[in-house]
Amino acid sequence: MQVQSTASGRRCPSGEWPRDELEDLLARVTRPGRYVGGEFNLRHKPGARPRVVLSYPDAYEVGMANQALQILYAGINDESAGSAERAFCPWPDMADLMRARGVALWSLESQSPVATCDLWGITLPHELTFTNVLEMLDLAGVTLHAAARRDDEPIVLGGGPAVANPWPLAPFFDAFFIGEAEGRLGELVEALGAASRAERLEALGRVAGVWLPPRDDAGRAGPPARRQVFAAFSSTMPVTRPVVPVFEAVHDRAVVELMRGCTAGCRFCQAGMWYRPVRERPADMVVDAARQTLAATGCDEVSLVSLSSCDYSAIAEVVERVRALRPGLRVSLPSLRIDSAAVQLARFGAGQRGSVTLAPEAGTQALRDRVNKGIDERQVLESVEAVFSGGFTGLKLYFMLGLPGESDDDAAAIAQMAARAADLAKRIGRGRARLSVAVSSYVPKPHTAFEHEPFAGEAVLRRRQGLLRDALPHSVKVAFHDVAASLVEASLARAGRGSDALVEGAWRAGARFDGWSEHFDVRAWDAAAGSCGVVLGETAFSALGAAPWREAVDSGIEEDFLKEERRRAAAGLLTEDCRGGRCVSCGVCGDGVEMDVVA
Amino acid sequence: MTGHSASPRRAGETTVADRHWLVWFARCGPASYLSHLDTARALQRTFARAGIDLALSQGFRPKVRFSLPLPLPVGAAGFDELAVAEVTAGAPPPSDAVRALRAAAPEGLTPTRVRECSARVRPRPRAARYAAEVRGDAVILAAEAARFAAEDEVLVERTSPKGRRTLDLKRYIGDLIVEAVPGGARICFSVRHRSDGAARPQEVVDLLAGRAGCPTVVHRLTRLGVSFEGVPRDEMSGREE
Repeated sequence: MQVQSTASGRRCPSGEWPRDELEDLLARVTRPGRYVGGEFNLRHKPGARPRVVLSYPDAYEVGMANQALQILYAGINDESAGSAERAFCPWPDMADLMRARGVALWSLESQSPVATCDLWGITLPHELTFTNVLEMLDLAGVTLHAAARRDDEPIVLGGGPAVANPWPLAPFFDAFFIGEAEGRLGELVEALGAASRAERLEALGRVAGVWLPPRDDAGRAGPPARRQVFAAFSSTMPVTRPVVPVFEAVHDRAVVELMRGCTAGCRFCQAGMWYRPVRERPADMVVDAARQTLAATGCDEVSLVSLSSCDYSAIAEVVERVRALRPGLRVSLPSLRIDSAAVQLARFGAGQRGSVTLAPEAGTQALRDRVNKGIDERQVLESVEAVFSGGFTGLKLYFMLGLPGESDDDAAAIAQMAARAADLAKRIGRGRARLSVAVSSYVPKPHTAFEHEPFAGEAVLRRRQGLLRDALPHSVKVAFHDVAASLVEASLARAGRGSDALVEGAWRAGARFDGWSEHFDVRAWDAAAGSCGVVLGETAFSALGAAPWREAVDSGIEEDFLKEERRRAAAGLLTEDCRGGRCVSCGVCGDGVEMDVVA
Repeated sequence: MTGHSASPRRAGETTVADRHWLVWFARCGPASYLSHLDTARALQRTFARAGIDLALSQGFRPKVRFSLPLPLPVGAAGFDELAVAEVTAGAPPPSDAVRALRAAAPEGLTPTRVRECSARVRPRPRAARYAAEVRGDAVILAAEAARFAAEDEVLVERTSPKGRRTLDLKRYIGDLIVEAVPGGARICFSVRHRSDGAARPQEVVDLLAGRAGCPTVVHRLTRLGVSFEGVPRDEMSGREE
């Protein structure tokens, strides 16, 4: 036997890697690639200060698809003296081993304990990740309650869309950043230069957008923080050198954010309010960014992302020019609104493969008008036709159950619309077309027109799921969101001061990875709710009609505008998109914040 | 052939001028924890970042012509791994390609050599040499290695999604050496690749460590080298560029 043997003692350029205690853990867990880093475009700045760790409280492959993390990572590493590293929530098998071995959570770049960083920034995407925040704090060995943290512990800063109501996590964070942080990174990094923890917190508190929660139940909170809008969005190049996982992630494509904000005015949509106003990047910048990102990532697909990419003023031009960058390049538009999509889909679909999601949201015209969706069934069916005519082979129709004013008939009407769409798919798709329906449960959110509407409740949601399941044609595949998980979301989304007890109780009872059906355990939440005297599904520590989130967050959206929108919803009146020229007085524009669209 | 679905660029274009490369690379550090498919994907992405176009297969869903003839287990390092790539006519000369690939590769994946080869080259693994560390008493483990060498037959059971299979490790394992290292022992062994398969490194460790009564968790598994049938001898002995 001839064996080609290497010289003994050949060393890896990464050195003795990983350190022994980590290697022992990595040998025993599923998907060890989650915990090792080593990706394309990773930045590592040994010794740089301040050392910031950025986290997304979910598994690595989910967190790496988050754009905010990429933006902040590139911003801190490339434009400041500080360093940004990453840490994600360890999967339960790893978490249990870490506890058993006494190994603290480490960052991917330096393999150093997260607890030794200066600032730990955690993005909060939605309520079902809240227990993972506690899990990460605990695994890192960082004191759970901010008020008890020692001087040498990092400042824990929360951000992301779920800080629209920070109360359920307030005691676990030293501070929250409300809104888009890109324009404030320099100030945030500078504030970390103060000598003591108290001084650093004081300095952070002076940065616009930072809210300091009260440190005890009776304590006074700081004034509400104004949501920050990155006014220079349109003139700033997007991230063109993102970290690209070598381990398979949720989204494996180059991403270019072409637009931020959406003023379509869907009354249930928190993102539509939270990211106002609309700001578009010029077409030349988007195309150049796509070219640079493709070269830096090696991807063979570009995703042009925003809340509603078909609404981007120059979408047809940009798609055409990006496609011309490389023969056969795939371009995807992940968020399509039906009214603007129908005319574009056939053109965009040419030469593409795969599937598309369209969101009629509700089955009847009355309910669609109530939520200001502003589309009729003819437009939905035109879009379905355009999808399959354009070459796509899969279509998912997305609906919600439990919208304010919904009846059982509205639920049944979803099945009728799906049946008509299935007929079209069969006729046009020549046997290759696949139609599916996804149905989630609506949870009213703060800073929306429905912020004071009651949650539909478990009984109603389960009954309507049953009605819909029975009425749908057998050829249509349907997936329902777990009602029990919606109960948790409903309890936390508008919760008030003290609701942290519910989150902590659930976590102590074993809740983690609540967004994953295989890990979600409603019994842990039920037990915690029982201990807190809360009924799961009812808003925790707040009454319907109260708005505790306004003590912490000034979203810039006028309360009067939201009240008027609620009234118009009840009357079934549509409110037009302000991109059309008529201001709807939502209150966001002014003080240097304006809509900025491509001419 | 390992390859992910790719965009149809250059599909149907001439394949006459496509060139065939043998690419040697090291996989260590964080890259050790990649699966076989992830390793292939990361290398293909390295080619794309280096601006070297891989050729595509014909058909409705073209695939890149790129393969790794011998998978490396998750968690294992390898310093002389081989990939077979088909690149388009416009690809740079191999010496330039190595530099471009190295600059484009992620941490832990290091292309070391590129050689042009004929289209007929189909490397088939014949034997591979491994080193694995375990936490156990080197003296006891060495005694078990000696016992293994003296046996005529060592049957182990392999369970996989395809079912159960009994194999005789003696048919697949060549020399087996144990040496003491700080904290445990290093087991060095060679695995023969036969037409009916090969033993897995973990099976060797399970046997020896299990018999010695020490933990079977492998530390620092390294594939030291592989011999391939179908690769000319002069191609095998090239040194790092």
